[in-house]
Amino acid sequence: MTLLSILGVISSAIYSGTSLLYITLGEIVDQRSGIVNLGLEGLLLISGATGVAVTSITGNPFWGVLAAVAAGGLTNLILGFLVVTRRGNQLASGLALMFFGFGASALIGKSHVGQKINGLARFTIPGLGSLSPRYLSLLQFDLLIYLSIPCALLIWWLLFRTRWGLGVRAVGENADTAFASGRNPRLIKYQALFVGGMLAGLGAAHLTLAYTLNWTEFMMGGRGFIAVALVIFSKWHPVRAIAGALLFSGAVAFQLLLQASGVSISPFLLDTIPYILTILVLIAWGGTRKYSAPASLGRVYMGTE
Amino acid sequence: MKRRVLYSVLCVLMVLSLLLAACAPAEEATQAPVKPVITEEAAPVATEEPVAPPEEPVVEEPCLIIGALYGGPINDAGYNQAMHESVAAIAENIPCVKIIEAENVPEEAGATTTMENMISEGAGMIIATAFNHQYPALELAGKYPDVIFEHAGGWEMSGNFANFFGEPPDVWYMLGVAAGRMTETNKLGFIAAFPLGWSLTFANAFHLGARSVNPDVETTISYTFSWGDSAKEAETTNALINQGVDVITMHIDSPATVISTAESRGVYSIGFQSLHAQEFAPEYWITGSGYTLGGTLTWLTSTVLDGTWEPIFLRCGLWDGCMALAPFGPEVPQEVQDEVMAVGVKLESGELVVFQGPILDQDGNVVVAEGEQLTDDQMSAVNWLVQGMIGSPQ
Repeated sequence: MTLLSILGVISSAIYSGTSLLYITLGEIVDQRSGIVNLGLEGLLLISGATGVAVTSITGNPFWGVLAAVAAGGLTNLILGFLVVTRRGNQLASGLALMFFGFGASALIGKSHVGQKINGLARFTIPGLGSLSPRYLSLLQFDLLIYLSIPCALLIWWLLFRTRWGLGVRAVGENADTAFASGRNPRLIKYQALFVGGMLAGLGAAHLTLAYTLNWTEFMMGGRGFIAVALVIFSKWHPVRAIAGALLFSGAVAFQLLLQASGVSISPFLLDTIPYILTILVLIAWGGTRKYSAPASLGRVYMGTE
Repeated sequence: MKRRVLYSVLCVLMVLSLLLAACAPAEEATQAPVKPVITEEAAPVATEEPVAPPEEPVVEEPCLIIGALYGGPINDAGYNQAMHESVAAIAENIPCVKIIEAENVPEEAGATTTMENMISEGAGMIIATAFNHQYPALELAGKYPDVIFEHAGGWEMSGNFANFFGEPPDVWYMLGVAAGRMTETNKLGFIAAFPLGWSLTFANAFHLGARSVNPDVETTISYTFSWGDSAKEAETTNALINQGVDVITMHIDSPATVISTAESRGVYSIGFQSLHAQEFAPEYWITGSGYTLGGTLTWLTSTVLDGTWEPIFLRCGLWDGCMALAPFGPEVPQEVQDEVMAVGVKLESGELVVFQGPILDQDGNVVVAEGEQLTDDQMSAVNWLVQGMIGSPQ
C-alpha cells in the first residue's frame, strides 16, 4: 500500500460519494417531512436520463444539471400527489414510482445510450498546481464535488435553523400538531418533496455528467436504496450523512484496491464488504430515543378535522 | 400565515439559486464536442464478403424473415451494437430478407416469448445474440423444427440449432502487444464483469501479448460483477488508475464508461466489442477490436435461402473478417502499429500460437505443458491467470 494508493482510495471515495451524499440529503428532507420515498431509484434514473439527454442535445452539461434537478423535483411531486393529495400508501406508491422510473428513463434515454457527452469540467484547488501530475489527477474535482459539503451544511441550516425547517420537522413528527400551530402540512410535504427531489436529481446529475459520462439503462445500480439505508445510518441528520456517504464509497474503493493488489480473498466476497459494513454499523449504532425516525414517518396524513 | 408561505417559497428559491450558481462556471470550461470519424474499413481485414445470391431489387414478399434478439440496447457502442450491425448487414447484402429485431431481452423467459412471437410472425431464421438466449433457443429449436436457430457464442448443437462467433484470443494478443509497447508505468489494467472462462482467456492472451514485447509488464484484473453497471465501471477504472495503471482495457458489454473515464484521467485505453468505442477517447485511444460478423451472417443466410444450411460450429477470426481491429489512436507510433500487424500475420499463419505451452499460472504451476496448446473447450473453462498477472481468477 503506497501513499498513492491510499490517496487513490480517498479520491475515489470523494468521487463516488458525492452523488450518494446529494441523494441521501434528498431522502433526509423527504423523510423529515414524514414521507419514505422508496421510489428514489426510479427518480434517479429519470433525472440521470434527462440530464444526459439535455446535455447531449445542448452540448452543455450546465443545462443537463439543471434539467436533472428539475426532473428530480417534478418526479417527486408525482409521489406527492399520490401520498399527500390522494393519501396513498407510501411504500406502495414509492415502489410504483420506482418501476415507473425504470420505464420512463429507458424511454427518455433511448436515443442517448452510448452517446458521448461533455462532462462537468474538473479543476484543482488553486495552489496545488506544483504537485506531480500523478498526485494532481487525484485532486481534480468538479464543482459539484466542491459544493457537496457546503450543501449538506446548508440543508442542516435549512432543517434546524429556519422556520421552514421547523415546519418540515414538525409535520414529520406530528402533522396534526403542526396544523394546530398554524402550518399547512400538505403544502409543507409538497415543498419538502420538491426540495428532496431536486437534491436527489443533483446526485443523479453528478453520477451521469461528472462520473460515468454517459447513460446506460438501469445504471443507478441500487444507489437509491443505498441512500435510504444511509439515511437511517446518518440518523436523519444532514451532517452525519457526509460521513455515511464517504464511508460507504470508501469501502467500495477499498475493496477494489484489495482486488487490484492481489489479495487471496475471493473477489465475490470482497464485493460485499461495503454492504456488510453498512449492516455492521446499523447493528452497532442501534436505535436510541434521541436519534430515532420522525415519529409519523410513513404514516398517511388524513387531514385534520 | 402569508409571510410563512412566502418564507418557505423563498427557501425553495434559495436552494434553486444555489444550484444555479453551482453549475454556472461549468459552462465556460466546457470543451467543444469532438466527434472523430470512425472508419471501419481502415482495419486490415479481408473485406471480400461471401457471395450473396443475386436478387431482384424490388421484392414484394420477403424471401426470408429473420428474427434477431439482443440482450441490451442496440446503440450501446458495445457488444449489442456490434451484433445489431452484423445482422443489419444481411439485409443490405440480400435485399429480399426482412429483419425483425428485439432489443433489451436480457432474461430467458423474455427471450422465449420474443422468439415465439417472431416465429408466429413468419420468421424462418432466429439469430439470438445474448449469452442467456442459448437454452431458450435450443428448446424452441426442438419445438419448431422448420425454423433455423443461430446463437452467437454458444456451444450447443442440434439439427436446426448452430452457433457462430468471432475468435478473439488472437486479437487480444495483438492488443496486448500494443499495450506492452505503449505503457510507461509497466502496469496494465483489465476490467472484467465476472471471473468467467472466456474473460480470463482474453485477459491471459492480452497479458501474454504485452509480455512478449515488454518482459517487465504486469496486468491487474478487477471485476465489476455486472455486465453493465456504469458507476461501478467508473469506480473500478479509477481504482486501477490510482494504482498506477496507464493502459486500461475491458471485457464488459459496453466499453463506453471505462474508456471515457480513462480519457478524462489522461490514461490510454483499448476497446473491445464494438469499433464505436473509439468515439469516447479521441486522444488516449490506442486501438481496439470489435465483432464484424456481417459477412458471416450473410453467408449463413444465403445457405438458408438455397437450402444448403447445415448446423456448423462456426468460429472465424480477424483475417476472415469476423473481427476487426479499430484504427490506431493519434499517440501510437508507426513502429508499434507495424509491429502489431506483423504479430497478427504470424498468428494467422500459425507461426505464433497464443496459448503455446509451456505456460505457468500465477503460482508457477504448469497449466499448459510444453508442446501443447489450449483447445477452444479448454479456453472456455480457464480458471487460472498466467504468471505476472495480479488479481484473483475465481
